[in-house]
Amino acid sequence: MDTSQLLKGVLDLAVLAVLRDADGYGYDVLRRLRAAGLEDVADASVYGTLRRLFAAGALTSYVQPSEEGPHRKYYGLNKTGHDLLAQSTRTWTNFADIMSVLLLTKEEAA
Amino acid sequence: MNSTLTGAVATYLAQVRAELSDLPPGELADVLDDVTGHLTEVAAEFDGEPSSAALQERLGTPRQYADELRNAAGYPPRTAPAATVKHPGKAALRWGIIAATVGPFFVAIAIFAGAEEVGAFFVFIGFAVLFLAAWLGVRALRGQDPAVVLDTPRGAKGEALIRDMVAQIPPKLRQELVTIGQPVWWVLRGAVGAGGFFLLFGAGAVAAVAAIVGAIVSVWIARRAQQDRRWLWYVVPLNVVAAVAVPAVLSAAYLGASFGVFSNGYPSSSSSHTPNDGLRLNGMQITNIYPFDAQGKQTSVLLYDQNGEPIRIDSRENCDWVQGTNSHIENQFPYGVIPPDALVDSADNCRETTVAPFTPPPIVFQTPTPPPASPTPTPSAKVTPPPASGKPSATLTVQPSR
Repeated sequence: MDTSQLLKGVLDLAVLAVLRDADGYGYDVLRRLRAAGLEDVADASVYGTLRRLFAAGALTSYVQPSEEGPHRKYYGLNKTGHDLLAQSTRTWTNFADIMSVLLLTKEEAA
Repeated sequence: MNSTLTGAVATYLAQVRAELSDLPPGELADVLDDVTGHLTEVAAEFDGEPSSAALQERLGTPRQYADELRNAAGYPPRTAPAATVKHPGKAALRWGIIAATVGPFFVAIAIFAGAEEVGAFFVFIGFAVLFLAAWLGVRALRGQDPAVVLDTPRGAKGEALIRDMVAQIPPKLRQELVTIGQPVWWVLRGAVGAGGFFLLFGAGAVAAVAAIVGAIVSVWIARRAQQDRRWLWYVVPLNVVAAVAVPAVLSAAYLGASFGVFSNGYPSSSSSHTPNDGLRLNGMQITNIYPFDAQGKQTSVLLYDQNGEPIRIDSRENCDWVQGTNSHIENQFPYGVIPPDALVDSADNCRETTVAPFTPPPIVFQTPTPPPASPTPTPSAKVTPPPASGKPSATLTVQPSR
Protein backbone atom coordinates (compact mmCIF):
# COMPACT_ATOMS: atom_id res chain seq x y z
CA MET A 1 0.00 0.00 0.00
CA ASP A 2 1.26 3.44 -0.96
CA THR A 3 2.03 5.49 2.14
CA SER A 4 1.60 8.73 0.23
CA GLN A 5 -2.12 7.93 -0.09
CA LEU A 6 -2.40 7.46 3.66
CA LEU A 7 -0.34 10.59 4.31
CA LYS A 8 -2.87 12.80 2.57
CA GLY A 9 -5.39 12.16 5.28
CA VAL A 10 -3.09 12.57 8.23
CA LEU A 11 -0.57 15.17 7.11
CA ASP A 12 -2.36 17.86 9.12
CA LEU A 13 -2.03 15.77 12.23
CA ALA A 14 1.61 14.93 11.53
CA VAL A 15 2.52 18.59 10.98
CA LEU A 16 0.67 19.66 14.13
CA ALA A 17 2.48 16.94 16.02
CA VAL A 18 5.98 17.98 15.01
CA LEU A 19 5.17 21.58 15.90
CA ARG A 20 3.82 20.64 19.34
CA ASP A 21 7.14 20.80 21.13
CA ALA A 22 8.90 23.52 19.23
CA ASP A 23 8.13 26.10 16.52
CA GLY A 24 9.74 25.46 13.17
CA TYR A 25 10.18 26.86 9.66
CA GLY A 26 9.01 24.92 6.64
CA TYR A 27 12.19 23.06 5.85
CA ASP A 28 12.64 22.26 9.52
CA VAL A 29 9.13 20.74 9.69
CA LEU A 30 9.95 18.71 6.61
CA ARG A 31 13.14 17.41 8.22
CA ARG A 32 11.37 16.45 11.44
CA LEU A 33 8.73 14.52 9.49
CA ARG A 34 11.40 12.66 7.56
CA ALA A 35 13.37 11.98 10.72
CA ALA A 36 10.23 10.52 12.28
CA GLY A 37 10.02 8.05 9.40
CA LEU A 38 7.64 9.73 6.95
CA GLU A 39 10.09 9.48 4.06
CA ASP A 40 7.51 9.76 1.30
CA VAL A 41 6.15 13.14 2.29
CA ALA A 42 6.23 15.56 -0.64
CA ASP A 43 7.97 18.87 0.04
CA ALA A 44 5.34 21.08 -1.50
CA SER A 45 2.48 19.36 0.31
CA VAL A 46 4.06 20.16 3.67
CA TYR A 47 4.31 23.82 2.74
CA GLY A 48 0.73 23.74 1.51
CA THR A 49 -0.44 22.15 4.74
CA LEU A 50 1.32 24.82 6.78
CA ARG A 51 -0.47 27.50 4.75
CA ARG A 52 -3.84 25.83 5.23
CA LEU A 53 -3.42 25.35 8.97
CA PHE A 54 -2.28 28.95 9.20
CA ALA A 55 -5.32 30.13 7.22
CA ALA A 56 -7.54 28.04 9.52
CA GLY A 57 -6.14 29.96 12.47
CA ALA A 58 -4.36 26.99 14.03
CA LEU A 59 -0.85 28.38 13.60
CA THR A 60 1.01 31.54 14.41
CA SER A 61 3.67 32.76 12.04
CA TYR A 62 6.64 35.04 12.52
CA VAL A 63 9.80 35.88 10.68
CA GLN A 64 13.25 35.42 12.14
CA PRO A 65 16.60 36.23 10.62
CA SER A 66 18.92 33.28 10.18
CA GLU A 67 22.70 33.15 10.44
CA GLU A 68 23.06 31.82 6.93
CA GLY A 69 21.12 33.58 4.20
CA PRO A 70 17.64 35.05 4.19
CA HIS A 71 15.08 35.29 6.96
CA ARG A 72 12.96 32.29 7.85
CA LYS A 73 9.25 32.13 8.48
CA TYR A 74 8.52 30.15 11.60
CA TYR A 75 5.22 28.47 12.37
CA GLY A 76 3.99 27.49 15.82
CA LEU A 77 0.84 26.16 17.47
CA ASN A 78 -1.54 28.58 19.14
CA LYS A 79 -4.47 27.70 21.37
CA THR A 80 -6.62 26.67 18.40
CA GLY A 81 -3.74 24.59 17.09
CA HIS A 82 -3.29 22.76 20.37
CA ASP A 83 -7.06 22.12 20.56
CA LEU A 84 -7.06 20.88 16.96
CA LEU A 85 -4.11 18.60 17.71
CA ALA A 86 -5.83 17.14 20.78
CA GLN A 87 -9.09 16.57 18.91
CA SER A 88 -7.35 15.12 15.85
CA THR A 89 -5.26 12.87 18.06
CA ARG A 90 -8.47 11.43 19.59
CA THR A 91 -9.98 10.93 16.16
CA TRP A 92 -6.81 9.28 14.88
CA THR A 93 -6.36 7.03 17.91
CA ASN A 94 -9.96 6.00 17.69
CA PHE A 95 -9.60 5.29 13.98
CA ALA A 96 -6.30 3.47 14.40
CA ASP A 97 -7.80 1.29 17.16
CA ILE A 98 -10.68 0.32 14.92
CA MET A 99 -8.32 -0.47 12.07
CA SER A 100 -6.07 -2.47 14.35
CA VAL A 101 -8.96 -4.48 15.70
CA LEU A 102 -10.31 -4.96 12.19
CA LEU A 103 -7.01 -6.11 10.79
CA LEU A 104 -6.11 -8.30 13.77
CA THR A 105 -9.49 -10.10 13.91
CA LYS A 106 -9.31 -10.74 10.19
CA GLU A 107 -5.82 -12.13 10.56
CA GLU A 108 -6.89 -14.27 13.50
CA ALA A 109 -9.94 -15.48 11.64
CA ALA A 110 -7.82 -16.51 8.73
CA MET B 1 12.27 38.41 -1.93
CA ASN B 2 14.05 36.18 -4.41
CA SER B 3 17.14 38.33 -4.54
CA THR B 4 19.30 35.59 -3.08
CA LEU B 5 18.24 33.04 -5.68
CA THR B 6 20.07 32.74 -8.97
CA GLY B 7 20.12 30.62 -12.06
CA ALA B 8 17.91 27.57 -12.33
CA VAL B 9 16.54 28.04 -8.80
CA ALA B 10 15.32 31.55 -9.58
CA THR B 11 13.77 30.30 -12.80
CA TYR B 12 12.06 27.46 -10.94
CA LEU B 13 10.65 29.94 -8.42
CA ALA B 14 9.42 32.18 -11.21
CA GLN B 15 7.68 29.25 -12.87
CA VAL B 16 6.01 28.21 -9.61
CA ARG B 17 4.89 31.80 -9.14
CA ALA B 18 3.40 31.78 -12.63
CA GLU B 19 1.47 28.62 -11.81
CA LEU B 20 0.05 30.23 -8.68
CA SER B 21 -0.59 33.62 -10.22
CA ASP B 22 -4.36 33.30 -9.78
CA LEU B 23 -4.06 33.41 -5.98
CA PRO B 24 -4.97 36.57 -4.09
CA PRO B 25 -1.86 38.82 -3.98
CA GLY B 26 -1.44 38.66 -0.21
CA GLU B 27 -1.64 34.88 -0.04
CA LEU B 28 0.62 34.59 -3.10
CA ALA B 29 3.30 36.71 -1.45
CA ASP B 30 3.10 34.67 1.76
CA VAL B 31 3.26 31.29 0.11
CA LEU B 32 6.08 32.43 -2.19
CA ASP B 33 7.97 33.53 0.90
CA ASP B 34 7.77 29.91 2.08
CA VAL B 35 8.65 28.54 -1.34
CA THR B 36 11.65 30.88 -1.56
CA GLY B 37 12.87 29.61 1.79
CA HIS B 38 12.31 26.06 0.67
CA LEU B 39 14.19 26.48 -2.60
CA THR B 40 17.05 28.17 -0.78
CA GLU B 41 17.38 25.16 1.51
CA VAL B 42 17.02 22.70 -1.36
CA ALA B 43 19.66 24.56 -3.37
CA ALA B 44 21.99 24.28 -0.39
CA GLU B 45 21.64 20.49 -0.54
CA PHE B 46 23.59 20.55 -3.80
CA ASP B 47 27.28 21.20 -4.30
CA GLY B 48 27.18 24.48 -6.15
CA GLU B 49 24.23 25.70 -8.15
CA PRO B 50 21.78 22.92 -9.08
CA SER B 51 20.78 22.51 -12.69
CA SER B 52 17.19 22.81 -13.77
CA ALA B 53 17.05 19.05 -14.37
CA ALA B 54 18.42 18.25 -10.92
CA LEU B 55 15.81 20.51 -9.33
CA GLN B 56 13.00 18.85 -11.23
CA GLU B 57 14.21 15.43 -10.18
CA ARG B 58 14.23 16.51 -6.56
CA LEU B 59 10.96 18.50 -6.50
CA GLY B 60 9.03 17.59 -9.64
CA THR B 61 8.21 20.05 -12.37
CA PRO B 62 7.21 23.55 -11.27
CA ARG B 63 3.65 22.69 -12.24
CA GLN B 64 3.66 19.50 -10.15
CA TYR B 65 5.15 21.40 -7.24
CA ALA B 66 2.52 24.11 -7.53
CA ASP B 67 -0.32 21.60 -7.85
CA GLU B 68 0.89 19.72 -4.77
CA LEU B 69 1.06 22.96 -2.86
CA ARG B 70 -2.35 23.96 -4.12
CA ASN B 71 -3.97 20.66 -3.12
CA ALA B 72 -2.40 20.58 0.34
CA ALA B 73 -3.20 24.20 1.01
CA GLY B 74 -6.78 23.78 -0.13
CA TYR B 75 -6.54 26.57 -2.72
CA PRO B 76 -9.21 26.49 -5.43
CA PRO B 77 -8.16 24.65 -8.58
CA ARG B 78 -6.20 26.66 -11.04
CA THR B 79 -8.28 28.71 -13.46
CA ALA B 80 -6.20 27.18 -16.19
CA PRO B 81 -7.07 28.95 -19.42
CA ALA B 82 -7.40 32.37 -17.83
CA ALA B 83 -4.10 32.05 -16.03
CA THR B 84 -2.16 31.27 -19.16
CA VAL B 85 -3.92 33.36 -21.79
CA LYS B 86 -4.57 36.52 -19.82
CA HIS B 87 -1.22 36.55 -18.09
CA PRO B 88 -0.31 40.23 -17.76
CA GLY B 89 3.34 39.45 -18.34
CA LYS B 90 2.61 38.02 -21.77
CA ALA B 91 0.97 41.14 -23.16
CA ALA B 92 3.50 43.39 -21.46
CA LEU B 93 6.36 41.42 -22.95
CA ARG B 94 4.77 41.41 -26.40
CA TRP B 95 4.37 45.19 -26.42
CA GLY B 96 7.91 45.54 -25.09
CA ILE B 97 9.27 43.49 -27.97
CA ILE B 98 7.30 45.57 -30.47
CA ALA B 99 8.61 48.76 -28.90
CA ALA B 100 12.17 47.46 -29.07
CA THR B 101 12.03 46.20 -32.66
CA VAL B 102 9.49 48.02 -34.81
CA GLY B 103 10.23 51.49 -33.41
CA PRO B 104 14.01 51.30 -33.85
CA PHE B 105 13.49 49.73 -37.29
CA PHE B 106 11.79 52.89 -38.56
CA VAL B 107 14.41 55.09 -36.95
CA ALA B 108 17.12 53.03 -38.64
CA ILE B 109 15.40 53.57 -41.98
CA ALA B 110 15.39 57.28 -41.24
CA ILE B 111 19.11 57.30 -40.49
CA PHE B 112 20.04 55.50 -43.67
CA ALA B 113 17.40 57.15 -45.85
CA GLY B 114 19.48 60.29 -46.18
CA ALA B 115 16.78 62.59 -47.55
CA GLU B 116 15.82 65.05 -44.88
CA GLU B 117 12.03 65.00 -45.18
CA VAL B 118 11.82 61.22 -45.57
CA GLY B 119 14.14 60.84 -42.60
CA ALA B 120 12.10 63.13 -40.39
CA PHE B 121 8.95 61.25 -41.34
CA PHE B 122 10.41 57.87 -40.38
CA VAL B 123 11.90 59.25 -37.19
CA PHE B 124 8.45 60.47 -36.25
CA ILE B 125 6.81 57.12 -37.10
CA GLY B 126 9.53 55.18 -35.29
CA PHE B 127 9.27 57.13 -32.07
CA ALA B 128 5.47 57.14 -32.21
CA VAL B 129 5.42 53.33 -32.47
CA LEU B 130 8.10 53.02 -29.80
CA PHE B 131 6.40 55.18 -27.21
CA LEU B 132 2.91 53.87 -27.92
CA ALA B 133 4.01 50.22 -27.63
CA ALA B 134 6.04 50.96 -24.50
CA TRP B 135 3.07 52.71 -22.94
CA LEU B 136 0.76 49.80 -23.79
CA GLY B 137 3.34 47.40 -22.35
CA VAL B 138 3.48 49.19 -19.01
CA ARG B 139 -0.32 49.42 -19.00
CA ALA B 140 -0.61 45.68 -19.70
CA LEU B 141 1.24 45.03 -16.44
CA ARG B 142 -1.82 46.34 -14.63
CA GLY B 143 0.26 47.51 -11.71
CA GLN B 144 2.00 44.18 -11.19
CA ASP B 145 5.68 43.70 -10.59
CA PRO B 146 7.44 44.03 -13.98
CA ALA B 147 9.24 40.77 -13.14
CA VAL B 148 6.05 38.87 -14.11
CA VAL B 149 7.22 38.97 -17.72
CA LEU B 150 9.92 36.51 -16.68
CA ASP B 151 7.16 34.09 -15.64
CA THR B 152 5.97 33.71 -19.20
CA PRO B 153 7.57 30.93 -21.26
CA ARG B 154 9.02 33.49 -23.66
CA GLY B 155 10.29 35.68 -20.85
CA ALA B 156 11.90 32.78 -19.02
CA LYS B 157 13.57 31.61 -22.21
CA GLY B 158 14.88 35.09 -22.96
CA GLU B 159 16.15 35.49 -19.42
CA ALA B 160 18.02 32.19 -19.61
CA LEU B 161 19.50 33.17 -22.97
CA ILE B 162 20.76 36.53 -21.68
CA ARG B 163 22.07 34.89 -18.53
CA ASP B 164 24.07 32.44 -20.63
CA MET B 165 25.43 35.21 -22.81
CA VAL B 166 26.48 37.27 -19.79
CA ALA B 167 28.13 34.18 -18.31
CA GLN B 168 30.30 33.95 -21.44
CA ILE B 169 31.93 37.31 -20.63
CA PRO B 170 34.95 36.96 -18.35
CA PRO B 171 34.08 38.27 -14.86
CA LYS B 172 36.78 40.93 -14.93
CA LEU B 173 35.61 42.36 -18.21
CA ARG B 174 32.02 42.13 -17.02
CA GLN B 175 32.81 44.28 -14.04
CA GLU B 176 34.66 46.84 -16.13
CA LEU B 177 31.76 47.00 -18.53
CA VAL B 178 29.41 47.80 -15.66
CA THR B 179 31.63 50.29 -13.83
CA ILE B 180 33.12 52.10 -16.82
CA GLY B 181 31.26 51.08 -19.96
CA GLN B 182 27.81 51.69 -18.55
CA PRO B 183 28.20 55.35 -17.51
CA VAL B 184 30.07 56.11 -20.73
CA TRP B 185 27.24 54.57 -22.70
CA TRP B 186 24.66 56.57 -20.73
CA VAL B 187 26.39 59.85 -21.54
CA LEU B 188 27.11 58.91 -25.14
CA ARG B 189 23.59 57.83 -26.05
CA GLY B 190 22.07 60.94 -24.46
CA ALA B 191 24.50 63.34 -26.08
CA VAL B 192 24.36 61.75 -29.51
CA GLY B 193 20.65 61.12 -29.34
CA ALA B 194 19.63 64.65 -28.47
CA GLY B 195 22.45 66.33 -30.40
CA GLY B 196 21.96 64.20 -33.48
CA PHE B 197 18.25 64.91 -33.51
CA PHE B 198 18.80 68.66 -33.80
CA LEU B 199 21.64 68.19 -36.24
CA LEU B 200 19.16 66.43 -38.53
CA PHE B 201 17.45 69.79 -38.81
CA GLY B 202 20.71 71.66 -39.11
CA ALA B 203 20.52 73.53 -35.82
CA GLY B 204 24.16 73.40 -34.81
CA ALA B 205 24.23 75.64 -31.76
CA VAL B 206 21.03 74.11 -30.40
CA ALA B 207 22.49 70.65 -30.96
CA ALA B 208 25.46 71.40 -28.73
CA VAL B 209 23.19 72.44 -25.87
CA ALA B 210 20.83 69.55 -26.57
CA ALA B 211 23.75 67.11 -26.41
CA ILE B 212 24.66 68.26 -22.90
CA VAL B 213 21.05 68.23 -21.73
CA GLY B 214 20.53 64.85 -23.40
CA ALA B 215 23.50 63.34 -21.57
CA ILE B 216 22.17 64.55 -18.22
CA VAL B 217 18.65 63.31 -18.92
CA SER B 218 20.01 59.97 -20.12
CA VAL B 219 21.93 59.38 -16.91
CA TRP B 220 18.92 60.41 -14.85
CA ILE B 221 16.65 58.00 -16.73
CA ALA B 222 19.18 55.21 -16.29
CA ARG B 223 19.16 55.74 -12.52
CA ARG B 224 15.35 55.77 -12.51
CA ALA B 225 15.20 52.56 -14.52
CA GLN B 226 17.40 50.86 -11.94
CA GLN B 227 14.87 51.67 -9.25
CA ASP B 228 11.60 51.31 -11.15
CA ARG B 229 11.87 48.52 -13.69
CA ARG B 230 8.77 49.72 -15.56
CA TRP B 231 11.03 52.31 -17.18
CA LEU B 232 12.65 49.43 -19.02
CA TRP B 233 9.75 49.39 -21.48
CA TYR B 234 10.99 52.79 -22.66
CA VAL B 235 14.68 52.45 -21.91
CA VAL B 236 15.36 49.18 -23.71
CA PRO B 237 13.80 50.28 -27.03
CA LEU B 238 15.54 53.66 -26.78
CA ASN B 239 18.80 51.82 -26.17
CA VAL B 240 18.21 49.85 -29.34
CA VAL B 241 17.66 53.12 -31.20
CA ALA B 242 20.83 54.52 -29.66
CA ALA B 243 22.77 51.39 -30.57
CA VAL B 244 21.91 52.09 -34.20
CA ALA B 245 22.14 55.88 -34.07
CA VAL B 246 25.31 56.39 -32.04
CA PRO B 247 27.68 54.58 -34.44
CA ALA B 248 25.90 56.14 -37.42
CA VAL B 249 26.16 59.69 -36.11
CA LEU B 250 29.70 59.24 -34.87
CA SER B 251 30.93 57.80 -38.15
CA ALA B 252 29.10 60.51 -40.10
CA ALA B 253 30.72 63.11 -37.87
CA TYR B 254 34.11 61.51 -38.39
CA LEU B 255 33.73 61.34 -42.15
CA GLY B 256 32.05 64.74 -42.19
CA ALA B 257 29.42 63.31 -44.49
CA SER B 258 25.96 64.62 -43.85
CA PHE B 259 26.46 66.02 -40.39
CA GLY B 260 28.54 68.90 -41.61
CA VAL B 261 28.47 70.85 -38.40
CA PHE B 262 30.38 68.17 -36.55
CA SER B 263 33.11 68.18 -39.16
CA ASN B 264 34.15 71.66 -38.07
CA GLY B 265 35.12 70.36 -34.69
CA TYR B 266 32.56 72.52 -32.99
CA PRO B 267 29.33 74.08 -34.13
CA SER B 268 29.63 77.56 -35.56
CA SER B 269 27.01 80.24 -35.45
CA SER B 270 26.09 83.26 -37.52
CA SER B 271 27.19 85.74 -34.87
CA SER B 272 30.02 87.91 -36.17
CA HIS B 273 31.76 87.76 -32.83
CA THR B 274 32.37 84.04 -32.82
CA PRO B 275 35.30 82.60 -34.71
CA ASN B 276 34.50 80.88 -37.96
CA ASP B 277 36.48 79.26 -40.66
CA GLY B 278 36.67 82.43 -42.69
CA LEU B 279 38.43 82.24 -46.02
CA ARG B 280 40.70 79.53 -47.26
CA LEU B 281 42.83 79.24 -50.37
CA ASN B 282 43.86 75.70 -51.23
CA GLY B 283 43.21 74.76 -47.64
CA MET B 284 45.40 77.53 -46.25
CA GLN B 285 43.87 80.17 -44.04
CA ILE B 286 43.72 83.63 -45.64
CA THR B 287 44.57 86.25 -43.06
CA ASN B 288 44.37 89.33 -45.23
CA ILE B 289 43.30 90.54 -48.67
CA TYR B 290 45.20 93.24 -50.59
CA PRO B 291 43.09 94.64 -53.46
CA PHE B 292 44.88 96.35 -56.35
CA ASP B 293 43.24 98.29 -59.15
CA ALA B 294 43.94 97.75 -62.81
CA GLN B 295 46.79 100.22 -62.65
CA GLY B 296 48.51 98.10 -60.04
CA LYS B 297 47.75 100.62 -57.32
CA GLN B 298 46.71 99.33 -53.94
CA THR B 299 43.18 100.33 -52.91
CA SER B 300 40.79 99.78 -50.06
CA VAL B 301 37.45 97.96 -50.52
CA LEU B 302 34.50 96.70 -48.52
CA LEU B 303 33.75 93.05 -49.26
CA TYR B 304 30.33 91.37 -49.06
CA ASP B 305 29.19 87.87 -49.83
CA GLN B 306 26.30 86.88 -52.11
CA ASN B 307 23.79 87.58 -49.32
CA GLY B 308 25.12 91.01 -48.57
CA GLU B 309 26.75 89.75 -45.41
CA PRO B 310 30.01 91.54 -44.67
CA ILE B 311 32.98 89.25 -45.24
CA ARG B 312 35.32 89.28 -42.32
CA ILE B 313 38.41 87.27 -41.52
CA ASP B 314 39.84 86.24 -38.24
CA SER B 315 42.99 88.21 -37.79
CA ARG B 316 45.17 88.20 -34.74
CA GLU B 317 47.98 90.29 -36.09
CA ASN B 318 46.46 93.73 -35.56
CA CYS B 319 46.29 96.22 -32.76
CA ASP B 320 42.67 95.41 -31.98
CA TRP B 321 43.81 91.94 -31.00
CA VAL B 322 46.65 93.31 -28.90
CA GLN B 323 44.60 96.03 -27.24
CA GLY B 324 41.32 94.18 -27.07
CA THR B 325 39.54 96.96 -28.95
CA ASN B 326 37.29 96.90 -31.97
CA SER B 327 38.11 99.98 -33.98
CA HIS B 328 38.09 98.63 -37.53
CA ILE B 329 35.32 98.17 -40.06
CA GLU B 330 35.23 94.44 -40.12
CA ASN B 331 34.89 93.97 -43.86
CA GLN B 332 37.24 96.68 -45.00
CA PHE B 333 40.31 95.29 -46.73
CA PRO B 334 43.18 95.27 -46.43
CA TYR B 335 43.23 94.81 -42.70
CA GLY B 336 45.92 96.63 -40.87
CA VAL B 337 48.61 94.31 -39.59
CA ILE B 338 51.47 94.80 -37.24
CA PRO B 339 54.62 94.65 -39.37
CA PRO B 340 56.79 91.68 -38.53
CA ASP B 341 59.70 93.94 -37.61
CA ALA B 342 57.66 96.13 -35.25
CA LEU B 343 58.45 95.87 -31.60
CA VAL B 344 55.28 95.83 -29.59
CA ASP B 345 56.49 96.20 -26.08
CA SER B 346 53.20 97.53 -24.75
CA ALA B 347 49.62 97.49 -25.90
CA ASP B 348 49.54 101.30 -26.23
CA ASN B 349 52.59 101.35 -28.41
CA CYS B 350 50.97 99.52 -31.30
CA ARG B 351 51.49 100.39 -34.93
CA GLU B 352 49.92 98.70 -37.89
CA THR B 353 50.21 98.99 -41.63
CA THR B 354 47.90 98.27 -44.53
CA VAL B 355 50.68 98.33 -47.11
CA ALA B 356 51.02 95.04 -48.97
CA PRO B 357 54.18 93.18 -48.02
CA PHE B 358 54.71 92.31 -51.68
CA THR B 359 54.61 93.91 -55.10
CA PRO B 360 52.02 92.43 -57.46
CA PRO B 361 53.32 91.16 -60.78
CA PRO B 362 52.40 93.29 -63.77
CA ILE B 363 48.94 92.71 -65.16
CA VAL B 364 48.82 90.67 -68.35
CA PHE B 365 46.21 92.36 -70.51
CA GLN B 366 45.46 89.32 -72.64
CA THR B 367 42.78 88.31 -70.14
CA PRO B 368 39.65 90.10 -71.25
CA THR B 369 37.66 89.66 -68.07
CA PRO B 370 38.49 91.63 -64.98
CA PRO B 371 39.36 89.64 -61.86
CA PRO B 372 36.20 88.65 -60.01
CA ALA B 373 35.53 90.94 -57.12
CA SER B 374 33.17 88.77 -55.10
CA PRO B 375 32.35 85.09 -54.79
CA THR B 376 29.71 83.64 -57.11
CA PRO B 377 26.35 83.08 -55.44
CA THR B 378 26.74 79.58 -54.09
CA PRO B 379 27.43 78.76 -50.45
CA SER B 380 30.68 77.08 -51.32
CA ALA B 381 32.03 79.23 -54.09
CA LYS B 382 34.97 78.46 -56.30
CA VAL B 383 36.56 81.55 -57.71
CA THR B 384 39.18 81.55 -60.36
CA PRO B 385 41.96 83.65 -58.95
CA PRO B 386 43.71 86.30 -60.97
CA PRO B 387 46.51 84.82 -63.02
CA ALA B 388 48.80 86.93 -60.92
CA SER B 389 48.73 84.28 -58.24
CA GLY B 390 50.78 82.02 -60.42
CA LYS B 391 48.79 78.97 -59.41
CA PRO B 392 46.34 78.23 -62.19
CA SER B 393 44.63 75.43 -60.31
CA ALA B 394 44.17 77.28 -57.05
CA THR B 395 40.64 77.35 -55.63
CA LEU B 396 39.26 79.91 -53.26
CA THR B 397 36.76 78.48 -50.81
CA VAL B 398 34.46 80.69 -48.84
CA GLN B 399 32.91 78.94 -45.91
CA PRO B 400 29.63 80.59 -45.09
CA SER B 401 29.45 81.47 -41.46
CA ARG B 402 26.28 79.44 -41.05
